[in-house]
Amino acid sequence: MVRLERVNKIFHTRHFLLADEDTGRRTLYRKKTVHAVNDVDFAVKRGEIFGLLGPNGAGKTTAVKMISGLVRPNSGAVYVDDLHVERKRLKVLRKVGVVLEGTRTSIWPLTPLENLAYFGNLKDVKGPVLKQRSRELLNFIGLKDKMNVQVRRLSRGQKQKLAICIALIADPPVILLDEPTTGLDVQSSRAIKDKIIEITREHGKTALVTTHDMNVAQELCDRIGIINHGKLIACQPTDELLGLFAEKTFEFHLNRAPDLSLLRQIPGVEAAQLLDGEEEIVLAVTVARDEEDRSAALYGAIQCLHAQRILLRSITQRRQTLENVFLRLTGDTEPK
Amino acid sequence: MGFFLVMKAEVVRSLIIMRRYWFATLTGIIMGYGFLLALVLGFFGGYVPIDKVMSVVENILGFIIGMFAFGIIGLFTSGLQGMARTGQLEQVCMSPHGLVTNFLARSFVSAVTSILSLSIVFTLVALHVGGEFHAPVLPTITLLALTYVNLIGFGFMTGGLVLIFKQTGQIATLLRLGLLLWAVFATEEIRKLPRAAQWVAHALPVTDAAICLKYVMIQGQRAMVENAAGELVPEGPYLSVFSPSYPSFYALILSSVVWTLIGISCFRYMENVSRNKGTLGAY
Ligand SMILES: Nc1ncnc2c1ncn2[C@@H]1O[C@H](COP(=O)(O)OP(=O)(O)OP(=O)(O)O)[C@@H](O)[C@H]1O
Ligand SMILES: [Mg+2]
Repeated sequence: MVRLERVNKIFHTRHFLLADEDTGRRTLYRKKTVHAVNDVDFAVKRGEIFGLLGPNGAGKTTAVKMISGLVRPNSGAVYVDDLHVERKRLKVLRKVGVVLEGTRTSIWPLTPLENLAYFGNLKDVKGPVLKQRSRELLNFIGLKDKMNVQVRRLSRGQKQKLAICIALIADPPVILLDEPTTGLDVQSSRAIKDKIIEITREHGKTALVTTHDMNVAQELCDRIGIINHGKLIACQPTDELLGLFAEKTFEFHLNRAPDLSLLRQIPGVEAAQLLDGEEEIVLAVTVARDEEDRSAALYGAIQCLHAQRILLRSITQRRQTLENVFLRLTGDTEPK
Repeated sequence: MGFFLVMKAEVVRSLIIMRRYWFATLTGIIMGYGFLLALVLGFFGGYVPIDKVMSVVENILGFIIGMFAFGIIGLFTSGLQGMARTGQLEQVCMSPHGLVTNFLARSFVSAVTSILSLSIVFTLVALHVGGEFHAPVLPTITLLALTYVNLIGFGFMTGGLVLIFKQTGQIATLLRLGLLLWAVFATEEIRKLPRAAQWVAHALPVTDAAICLKYVMIQGQRAMVENAAGELVPEGPYLSVFSPSYPSFYALILSSVVWTLIGISCFRYMENVSRNKGTLGAY
């Protein structure tokens, strides 16, 4: 449905300085370029929820804006439903509904119902269809009792819900959501997450979601792309992504530090390190993925600790979360 | 088809806002009236001498045309900047009719409402100072429509510039003020200027519009002749504003067409540049 092919976007920014740090010359500003999106390639299939994750400034919003035709790529091509976004921009706009970040995406002096009428008209929805659909959408998202209150009097979450309704008013097959749950409380973000699932699963729409909320991403997305400094560094189904670092790590809570070199000699132990624990000593032992080897390694580790007469308080297995995967993938790739 | 739907959306939006903020709408009209009256009466010390009434009403008309120009172009400059700042511009850009259509509709609706309120102000002030004016339906409406076309062409051009060069916002305000003043001073007298200056004058967007409107509404489509006292009065033979021997009307048509073509192509181009730079949203 949505396809990005070797897309690049370079922004020129001005850095305002008192004096140039490199040359020491006094300048007002210096031009620099930001490679906001760097050779990104991915495709979102029909009926799929695709998550785009990445730290601040990674280029997620830029990618979303390029799909919705608000930003023009320097090179590469973006297709929505096999239509080239640059060449058939106005046609593409009929196929996508976009929720941009921020709360100013609706007209504040108008009520939600009037907003939907306005944006509906802009997108060629009119008459009884418009009326019926606006009410249905407001009902669906849970804004029914606020539909005649000016938007400026709504809370942030309610504005966000309205923005989703606006994106859906023309019943587009693709919806793009840029950080739909930022700044929302647990209930609201859960509600929005459920609605997104409902829209895609029951109404057959395709969704692309960017988010910082790992729980939302893990529960919501079928596939996840991780972008950092403009580069797509991973793009896999959520389960596979979680399995990416599926080496098993066990944490041993001890009363004093063991001899690490002895532990590392045990067959099957891939890594052993001490974590900076609070009061107690925590030893993290990463063991082999193979079941037999893992078993041997664990027995070995326990015997080794026992031989050193260390008090073993408890053993826990570290759970792999999306957050860990995300940090592993994005953590150590500083820009040049 | 699409244009009318966008227009409908804009009409509904502005009517709702006008109604919801009716107090502001009303005070706008009253303030315009009070301000103009104070300006005129203050200038003459409380009362306008009979022999000056005509030129005073002419200046008032010029000022009103200037206000109209100020408002319409403002929609493309500060209005557009405001929309970019709040993120509404991006929202409108994502409508499948394009930004140009949207701004056409937007400016048309705003032109109609401001013509309505400005005519109220003009009538009130003109009657208050004891002046009279003509408003033949067909010529007036035609001229107003052409004035609008003339202005949006210019508006699209400045709007395009403002989209990319944020700093031009202030210059655009100065430009709008300049046009406001120019509308007061633009009369047929510009024919007496040197050739080059005449060309410059005709190239400005409100010149011919103001001349034609003054010709119809103040002079009653009559040529000026010198009377016994040596003053210019509109007592020459009747000459329709549409007549081929009245050149300003055709100059206005030419100016409207040229400005619109320049304006819209400029705007389209700048819109693309702006999408390249990603400044439609972040301002
Ligand atoms: N219009 C612009 N002009 C110049 N630079 C820009 C522009 N828009 C974005 N950038 C730069 O491009 C990079 C990517 O920005 P983008 O907004 O896509 O990040 P993001 O992934 O959405 O971040 P966040 O999680 O904070 O929303 C940033 O370094 C930003 O400074
Ligand atoms: Mg962002």
